[in-house]
Amino acid sequence: MTTTPELISVLAANAAPVRRLRHPMVRAAGWLLLAALVVVLLAVGQGLRSDLADRLEQPVFVISMTASLSTGVLAAVAAFLVGLPDRSRLWGLLPVPTFALWVSTIGYGCLTSWIGLGPDGVSLNETGRCLATLLLTSVPLSIVMLVMLRHAAPLYPRSVAVIGSLAVAAITASVLSLVHDLDATAMILAWNIGTTALMVGTGGVLGRLVFAWVRRSSLRW
Amino acid sequence: MAKLRRDRVQGLTPVAVASVRSPDAPSGRGRAHTPPSAHHDLDWSILMARAQDGDRDAYRLLLEEITPYVRALAARRHHDPGDVEDVVQDVLLTVHEIRHAYDPTRPFGPWLVAIANRRVVDRLRRLGRTRSRETVLTPEHETFPVVQANLHDEGSDRAALRRAVEGLAPRQREAIRLLKLQEKSLKEAAAETGMSVAALKVATHRALDNLKKMFSRRGDT
Repeated sequence: MTTTPELISVLAANAAPVRRLRHPMVRAAGWLLLAALVVVLLAVGQGLRSDLADRLEQPVFVISMTASLSTGVLAAVAAFLVGLPDRSRLWGLLPVPTFALWVSTIGYGCLTSWIGLGPDGVSLNETGRCLATLLLTSVPLSIVMLVMLRHAAPLYPRSVAVIGSLAVAAITASVLSLVHDLDATAMILAWNIGTTALMVGTGGVLGRLVFAWVRRSSLRW
Repeated sequence: MAKLRRDRVQGLTPVAVASVRSPDAPSGRGRAHTPPSAHHDLDWSILMARAQDGDRDAYRLLLEEITPYVRALAARRHHDPGDVEDVVQDVLLTVHEIRHAYDPTRPFGPWLVAIANRRVVDRLRRLGRTRSRETVLTPEHETFPVVQANLHDEGSDRAALRRAVEGLAPRQREAIRLLKLQEKSLKEAAAETGMSVAALKVATHRALDNLKKMFSRRGDT
């Protein structure tokens, strides 16, 4: 059994110089720049949806897009702040208002587009492309955020994972709305709320495990 | 960048540090309930900034100085000295692991207190889980299931019974010895003692009654 003075000696002997973390705002901005790059690349690669100009004239679509993008930005900022020990955990509530607005516009969209939902509204091909967009957006953003926030692992893995997942989900949902013609109720629900719930839920349940794994891997490197 | 920040830390006055101290620090009476003084906080900030740059002596001094403070914080929630020391070591290890996440322009006290509180709560949860799953073994748990473990008790019972039989009247003692202890038949016992079968039955019955009375008296006392 190691005594505390022995532990202090070991730790002091292993005190290699470390590079300090940059300000959380700067780090959040870095991650958001990466997210913007992913969005641009996807928009160039897959092309924007054909009716984007028409949709941008509809207030509900604009509010929904703005709210989802804002949720992504604010959740990213909140995740980088909450991951630090000396910052208030109330920062975690930062994306809540925009998230509520985003969810409410999805609900409004459901009601208005309910009648327009036909049996052939969404084809399987479109669904497949949607899934590809979803993975291309969420996987790299999730991995980068995990690595950037690995210092939060010994402190608040679950709350940071949930807020970080919300940021990824909101950005992913925004990309899906920009790239795909998904106005059918079921698809909006499945992709927006479903994706968000899945990512946030997975982040909450697996946050501690995944963070611990990333932490061990980074120590090996 | 790192050097610039360090210079800024060393340029801070105690008053400046005190004025920006976070309200997250513990409050109340006594040494354990009060945040580190502004003087300590500034010292610790400087020591940590040096430790981040690889100064081992500064790091050792810092860890030695914060240990009693962390121990006092842990002792507020844990009563077992072993648990307190485990928490102290957990906190030191966490400080070491995420020392790059400390921003020297901010006070060190709240950063440390947040980590310590987290580790204290983690330890309480772990103890709670352990207690809900495990039962403390008593001597009864150890001796009852294993036959060999109970030999001592059996031996003492046998000796008590022997003493009780010795205390019986001679005819009763003989009847018990032949019929119960040596398990002879009534005919054999009658032939050996010269008593009639009926007299043996009466003597055995009275002997058992007397033994019951003896042991019930002993049980009452």
